[in-house]
Amino acid sequence: MDTTETYNYRVVRQFAIMTVVWGVVGLLVGVIIAAQLLWPQLNFDIPWLTYSRLRPLHTNAVIFAFGGSALFATSYYVVQRTCQTRLFSDGLAAFTFWGWNLVIVLAAITLPLGITTSKEYAELEWPIDILITLVWVAYAVVFFGTILKRKVKHIYVANWFYGAFILTVAVLHVVNSAALPVTLTKSYSVYAGAIDAMVQWWYGHNAVGFFLTAGFLGMMYYFVPKQAERPIYSYRLSVVHFWALISTYMWAGPHHLHYTALPDWAQSLGMVFSLILLAPSWGGMINGIMTLSGAWHKLRTDPILRFLIVSLSFYGMSTFEGPMMSIKTVNSLSHYTDWTIGHVHSGALGWVGLVSMGSIYFLIPRLFNREGMYSTRLVELHFWTATIGIVLYIAAMWIAGVMQGLMWRAVNEDGTLTYSFVESLEATYPYYAVRLAGGVLYLFGMLVMAYNVFKTISGATPARAPATQAA
Amino acid sequence: MSSKETHKPAVQTTGHAWDGDLQEFNNPLPRWWLWAFYATVVFAVIYWVIYPAWPLGRDYTKGLFNTITYETSDGRQVETHWNTRARFLREMQAARAKQEQILQRLAGVPYQEIAADRELSAFAYSMAKVLFADNCAACHQSGGAGVAGLYPNLADDAWLWGGTYAEIEQTIRNGRRGFMPSFARALDEQQLDDVATFVLSLSGFEVDPEAARRGGAIFNGQAGGCYYCHTHEGTGMTSQGAANLTDAVWTVARVQATAGVEANKEAVKAVIRKGIQREMPAWAGRLDDTEIRILTFYVHQLGGGQ
Repeated sequence: MDTTETYNYRVVRQFAIMTVVWGVVGLLVGVIIAAQLLWPQLNFDIPWLTYSRLRPLHTNAVIFAFGGSALFATSYYVVQRTCQTRLFSDGLAAFTFWGWNLVIVLAAITLPLGITTSKEYAELEWPIDILITLVWVAYAVVFFGTILKRKVKHIYVANWFYGAFILTVAVLHVVNSAALPVTLTKSYSVYAGAIDAMVQWWYGHNAVGFFLTAGFLGMMYYFVPKQAERPIYSYRLSVVHFWALISTYMWAGPHHLHYTALPDWAQSLGMVFSLILLAPSWGGMINGIMTLSGAWHKLRTDPILRFLIVSLSFYGMSTFEGPMMSIKTVNSLSHYTDWTIGHVHSGALGWVGLVSMGSIYFLIPRLFNREGMYSTRLVELHFWTATIGIVLYIAAMWIAGVMQGLMWRAVNEDGTLTYSFVESLEATYPYYAVRLAGGVLYLFGMLVMAYNVFKTISGATPARAPATQAA
Repeated sequence: MSSKETHKPAVQTTGHAWDGDLQEFNNPLPRWWLWAFYATVVFAVIYWVIYPAWPLGRDYTKGLFNTITYETSDGRQVETHWNTRARFLREMQAARAKQEQILQRLAGVPYQEIAADRELSAFAYSMAKVLFADNCAACHQSGGAGVAGLYPNLADDAWLWGGTYAEIEQTIRNGRRGFMPSFARALDEQQLDDVATFVLSLSGFEVDPEAARRGGAIFNGQAGGCYYCHTHEGTGMTSQGAANLTDAVWTVARVQATAGVEANKEAVKAVIRKGIQREMPAWAGRLDDTEIRILTFYVHQLGGGQ
C-alpha cells in the first residue's frame, strides 16, 4: 500500500460492469414480452413466463438494475472526482454494491414466482423492501459523507442532483412501501382505496422525477461538459431549474389518475403542476445542449458525445410530451393506450438509456486504464442501432396509442359504439411488430456495447488515480 | 483531460473549477425559457381560479364562473360546481337521451317485431356487434363459431339449450351448466367401443353393424342409460342441454367426416370416458335487460334461430 490517497474505483468498476450486464438482461426481458404481445403462445403455458409476471421483471430490471447501477457507478465516480476525496466508507460502498445486486437477484426470483405487492414499480415484497431501505441508507451515508469531507469549497451541480435523487427516493420508497406483513411473501398496503392509488402515483411519478430524471441529470451535468471539454452553459440556469424541478415534481403524481375516484381538486393540482414542470425540465436540456455551443463539430467525430446530446433531445421531447399528456382533455384520449408506453420509452430508451450508455463509455477506459474503448466504430454502430430502435419504438406506439384512443371513443350516428375492444387490439398488431423490431435493435446495440466493454477491459490493469489532481 | 481548447468566452465563468477542467459559465437565463415558465404559472393561476383546485381542510376551492347542470336519477335538475362526475353523468344522460326512444321500443316489442322492423333491427345489430365482441367473443369467438370441445358454435343451426328467442334469452340471462357424467368406471373398454360405434351410426357413419347393435343396447339400457338425456332416438333434450347425436353436428367430440371411423370412434370414446363439465356464466346483473334482449336477437340471427 502506498500512502497516497486514491479514489475508490473498485465499486465504480463493479457497478459500471453490472450496468451493462443488467442492461442486457432487462432489455432481453422487454423484447420477450414485446414478442408475447404479438405471439401470446411464447409464454409456453408456463406461469413464470407469463406476460403478467415478466412485465414487472422487465420494468424493475431496466429501472432499478440497469438504471440504478448506472446511477451508483456514476455518482460514486462523480462525487469523488468533484470533491477530490475518496469515498466516505469503502465498506459501506461495498455493502451497497452487494446489497443492491442481492435485491435485483431476489426480484428476478420473486417476480416470476408471482410474489408481488402489485404496486407498479414497487412490486417487491416487504423483506426485499427492508433490504432496499438498508442499502439506500448506506448509499446516502457514503454519498453525503463524501460531500462532507470534500476538499473543494463548492459543491458541484451534478452532486445537487444526485443528492436530491438519493434523499427523495428514500422518502418515496419508505412511504409508498409501508405495509402490514401477513407472511414472509405477502403484505397489505397500509393505505386504502383512492388514498392508496394517490400514494402509489405520488411515488410512481416521483420515481420518474427523481430516480429517472434528477439522478440522470446529475450524470448529464458531469459527463456532458467533461466529454465536450466545455464549461456548463449557465450556472444561473442550473440553480433556477434545479429548485424549480424538485419543488414541482412532487405535485405532478395525480395526472396518472385523471377521471378516476381521485377528488377533482387533486386532479387539477396534478395537471397544472405538470404543466409548470415543462420549463424546469427543459432547463436541464438547454444547459446540456448549450454547453456544446462552440464545440458542435465534435458531434461529427465523437459518438460518445452524440449519445449524450441525443439523449438530451429525447429528454426534451418527452418532458414536452409529458405535460401535454397531463392536460385532462389530452389525457382522456391518451390514457390507457399505448401512447403512454411510447411516452415512457422515449424517456427510458432515449433519455435514461442513452445518457447512461454514453457515461459508461466515458468511464470504462478511465476505470480500466485504457486509451479509449476497444472500438469506436462499435460505439458508432451502437449509437445508430439504438437511435433507430427508439424511433421505431416510439413512432409505433404513438400511432397505436392515438388510434386506440380514437377507436375506443368512436360512436356511430345512432349512438352505438363503432368498435369493440378486440377490434382495436387487432388494429394494433402491426404496430406491436414494429415496436418489437425497435426493441430488438436496441437490445442488439446493448449486446454490441457488452462486447466492446469486454474487449476493452480484458487484460487491462485497473486504474489507481491519485485523489489530488492539479485543478 | 488531454488537449484543452482555449476559449475567450464573452461570458465569464463562475470562477470555480472541479476535477481539473469542470467549469460553469454564468450565462443569463434564456429569455424565451423564462417567459415560457411564467406563462405556465399564469395558466396555472387562472386554472386554479376556475376549477376545483386547493384543499381547505375537509373542503376545497370549488372554482369560479364554472357550473355544471345535470339530472339525478329521480329526475331533479342539480346545478353544481364543475366536477368530472357530474360531467360524466351528463354525457351519459345525453347519450342515453339520444337512444331513449329506440331503446324503449326494443325493450317493449316482441322479438319477431324487431326482426321485421328495419330501423330496429339495424340499431340492435350495430349495438349487439360490439356487445358480443366485448362480452361473448372471448369464448364463442368473434363470428360466434365457438371452439370445438370447449365453447359451443352459435353460428350453426344446432342448439344445445334450444334456439328459440325465449330459450336463448334464458341462456344468456341465467347462464348454463353443461354436464355429462364420466363413464370411465361404468363401462369397460369393449362397451365404450360399442357405444361409440352406435353413436357414430346415428349420424350415418358406415360402422360395424354388430358392434353398433351391442352399443345401442347399452345406450338404451340400464348399463349406459344414455337415453335419459339423449332420448332413445338420440335426438337429445334441450332442457338438459343434451346434444342431438343424429344431426352430424359435433360440438365436443372432434369427429370429422373426412377422418377414418377408428379415429372418430376414439374421439367419441374420449368424451364418453371423461364426461363433460362446462359452464356459461349468467349475464343478468352484468348486462341490463335491453342489452340481453339485443344480444338474444343477435345470437338468434347469427345461426339458424328457431
